[in-house]
Amino acid sequence: MQRRDFLKTSIATSAAIMGTSLSAGVTMQPITGQEVSTMAFPEKRPLITYSDRPPLLESPRSTFTSRVTPNDEFFVRWHLPDIPTHIDLDSYTIKIDGLVERELNITLKQLREDFEQVEVEAVLQCGGNSRSAFKPICGGIQWGHGAMGSAVWKGVRLSDLLNRAGLKKGAHWIGFNGKDNAAYYETPNFIRELEIEELNDHVIIAYEMNGEDLPYLNGFPLRLIIPGYYSDSWVKMLSNITVTHDYKSLFFMDVAYRVPDNETESETPQNKFKKTKPITNMNVKSIIGYPETGMKVYHNSHVVVRGVAFDDGHGIQDVLISTDEGKTWEKSLLAQEGGRYAYTQFRFTYKPTKYGKVNIMAKAVNRLGDEQPLAADVLWNHGGYKFNGIDIVTVEVV
Amino acid sequence: MNKIIILVMIMAGSLAAQVKGDVEVPYISYEIKMGEGFDAIQANCLMCHSFGYVINQGPQSKDFWAKKTKKMITHFKMPMTEDSKDFETVVNYLFTYYGNGKLK
Repeated sequence: MQRRDFLKTSIATSAAIMGTSLSAGVTMQPITGQEVSTMAFPEKRPLITYSDRPPLLESPRSTFTSRVTPNDEFFVRWHLPDIPTHIDLDSYTIKIDGLVERELNITLKQLREDFEQVEVEAVLQCGGNSRSAFKPICGGIQWGHGAMGSAVWKGVRLSDLLNRAGLKKGAHWIGFNGKDNAAYYETPNFIRELEIEELNDHVIIAYEMNGEDLPYLNGFPLRLIIPGYYSDSWVKMLSNITVTHDYKSLFFMDVAYRVPDNETESETPQNKFKKTKPITNMNVKSIIGYPETGMKVYHNSHVVVRGVAFDDGHGIQDVLISTDEGKTWEKSLLAQEGGRYAYTQFRFTYKPTKYGKVNIMAKAVNRLGDEQPLAADVLWNHGGYKFNGIDIVTVEVV
Repeated sequence: MNKIIILVMIMAGSLAAQVKGDVEVPYISYEIKMGEGFDAIQANCLMCHSFGYVINQGPQSKDFWAKKTKKMITHFKMPMTEDSKDFETVVNYLFTYYGNGKLK
């Protein structure tokens, strides 16, 4: 990324913050439309770039026009700076230990040959996606909408691995650890713990993404796939699965990726809610892929608005579009070919009949009847997690 | 004989990564404002993360930067104490060059 591009985004951030003096936390439209960098990371084309170490890359809005996000445009988010730069495929194993009958060290070859191979298409979204919507600023990367993507993941069921190892009585928690390391020995590892009850047959250990090896920066050679869950639990470069009876206290479980444990999952910057819970299931969300803010469209032309919608697997019922500031909403056409964890694609034919700037808004409703709130109605939380405000792009009709 | 060797290579190759050799993540040289305290930033912050993380937060209050620095000590085990001169230096640098003028 060029420095100038980066400054441009940070200036935009500061402009949005400086103009306000707020006592309560508020939300607005996240910052979008950041320029992609001129520099490509391994196996990626140039993406919106926040950091090189650890690598943080955001997908541009245009990726939300396809059901499956291309591997080379898929967002990247690591937590720790020391990522192995080489994986020896012959010696790489995934270790399963703890409260199991048989401790296992499974090679990549065994994984492909000794277990049933399964596929699941699922959305991977960072819990902090769209965080730049929250003011005052929530610590963390000020993502636009592009810390998400959807892919077809191929691998083996976690339950098959656990059955092979045999769970002992009292097995209750499963910890997942990857190969990334911190600079200091004392820094906590990025370990996730999940309760056995949370893990259904859709949870897999994947080695393939959209028919190719997992890209290095997306967790090559193995990553955990938990359809419907935010990506903080989808451990990359997965190397250890440890079964325990008790929950271990860990930074990335106890402090990071948590929201207030109240009905609205909200709080104010002055009065933070003490009790918190992990972010787990994704809420209903839709993002417009085309057109984008700043584009010009012709008066009386046929514009096809396209985008994607998803939730945690209940399924999308409708995506509604408004071009009159939310006064009226019309149903878009849906294509749901990827299963319940995948992107639902929507398209809406729009004929602009008045000149000037027009806001195009998209609102998804899932099968439970949950619908997206306006961005301003999303309630603030200290981590800037789970933003799902109605997306708006502003085009100019000429 | 040649044929057999090729066949064996293909079979072994089924597990080959699409990346050959070591992966190299590009280095980005972020524009960093030089000034009093920069040495402390370089020695402490940049050990674990790039300067992009700092810039990405936008201009923030002194309180914000102090809390961030404390988080690095408490949770990420940056070898520093909250009552040290280094702590003060780091927070002052961040607030001077990446501050919004507000203490809180």
